[in-house]
Amino acid sequence: MCEETSAKQKVEISESVMSKNDRFAAENRKILRGRGLYTLNLISSPGAGKTTVLESMARYFGGRMAVIEGDIQTRRDAERIERAGCQAWQIETGGACHLDAHAVNHALGHMDLDSDELSLLAIENVGNLICPSGYDLGEDMRIGLLSVPEGDDKVLKYPSLFSTVDVLIINKMDLIPHLDFDVDRAIEECRSLNPDVNVFTVSARTGEGMEEFCGFVESGFLRNTG
Amino acid sequence: MHEMSLAMDMTRIIGEALGRKAPLERVNITIGPLSGISAESLRFCFTEIARMEGFGEPELVINHTEARLLCLECRTEYEVADFYQGCPECGSISRRILSGREFTVDSVEIDEDSE
Ligand SMILES: Nc1nc2c(ncn2[C@@H]2O[C@H](COP(=O)(O)OP(=O)(O)OP(=O)(O)O)[C@@H](O)[C@H]2O)c(=O)[nH]1
Ligand SMILES: [Mg+2]
Ligand SMILES: [Zn+2]
Repeated sequence: MCEETSAKQKVEISESVMSKNDRFAAENRKILRGRGLYTLNLISSPGAGKTTVLESMARYFGGRMAVIEGDIQTRRDAERIERAGCQAWQIETGGACHLDAHAVNHALGHMDLDSDELSLLAIENVGNLICPSGYDLGEDMRIGLLSVPEGDDKVLKYPSLFSTVDVLIINKMDLIPHLDFDVDRAIEECRSLNPDVNVFTVSARTGEGMEEFCGFVESGFLRNTG
Repeated sequence: MHEMSLAMDMTRIIGEALGRKAPLERVNITIGPLSGISAESLRFCFTEIARMEGFGEPELVINHTEARLLCLECRTEYEVADFYQGCPECGSISRRILSGREFTVDSVEIDEDSE
């Protein structure tokens, strides 16, 4: 498909830059489905409360859940999950601001996923609202987490993420009395990118709303396996 | 800074399509407003990576598309680059996204004389 104009040659390529990641994501999906694992990808800015939400989930799901932790450096978040009672594998990205499907594929090869009890894999992405959004990891449910101290205008500022999430969690609801975060505005803006999004308002610290969210995740994987 | 790894993916895709390394005159790509990519940082990274990988100093030509949306109130289809903008007919922000995530390497132009 070349058109010659004097010495110039134009070569048509038309390939998505994400195609390699998408191939690994499809392979992960096959591996995970094959093992009967329902997979979550948790995305938020640094400190919004991903690990705290996962600690709370670890207490709810126990041995039914395993976790992959993505951080630029350190095993601290994986250790927190292990203390809360779940198997955890830490990916240290060494500078990269997101997880990609290849890194997750590699992690799956190291984890012990054979337990019959295991039905849920939760992946905590690197804290960032932009970079993780284009990388499908092979998840069944993508969760965007927004904490109220960040402000209620963040959804439309980061449409590449919030237009792709299946679930919006608004976390740190215990701090609402001290802030001017407008919950309805955040929800309306998220629905304007994504009319089908499921919304949960929680406090991972007090546990408020967590049981309802965990029940929703549970119905997702029960539907999957049953 | 995920633009650095994306720039590397771009040179890999170009190298595979050409089956060789060649100094390029121009690289044409498309970026949608929901791709999460910073065009300026991609341009900076791609210039560096292309040179390091043996593709010369091509001009990166970016076709910025708008997102296509369907208004769920009045069914008008419209395009935006900025999601604060509502439906041009009825003003509603109740809508479904039809496109806007694209990030593709479209074509490259080689100047055979300079090889
Ligand atoms: N008040 C309040 N604080 C919370 C809540 N959830 C998390 N935090 C606090 O917020 C801080 C960050 O929480 P993490 O769970 O480490 O956040 P993270 O998103 O995992 O952070 P990174 O992995 O660094 O991106 C900690 O000090 C938590 O105790 C909540 O519901 N309410
Ligand atoms: Mg964390
Ligand atoms: Zn309308």
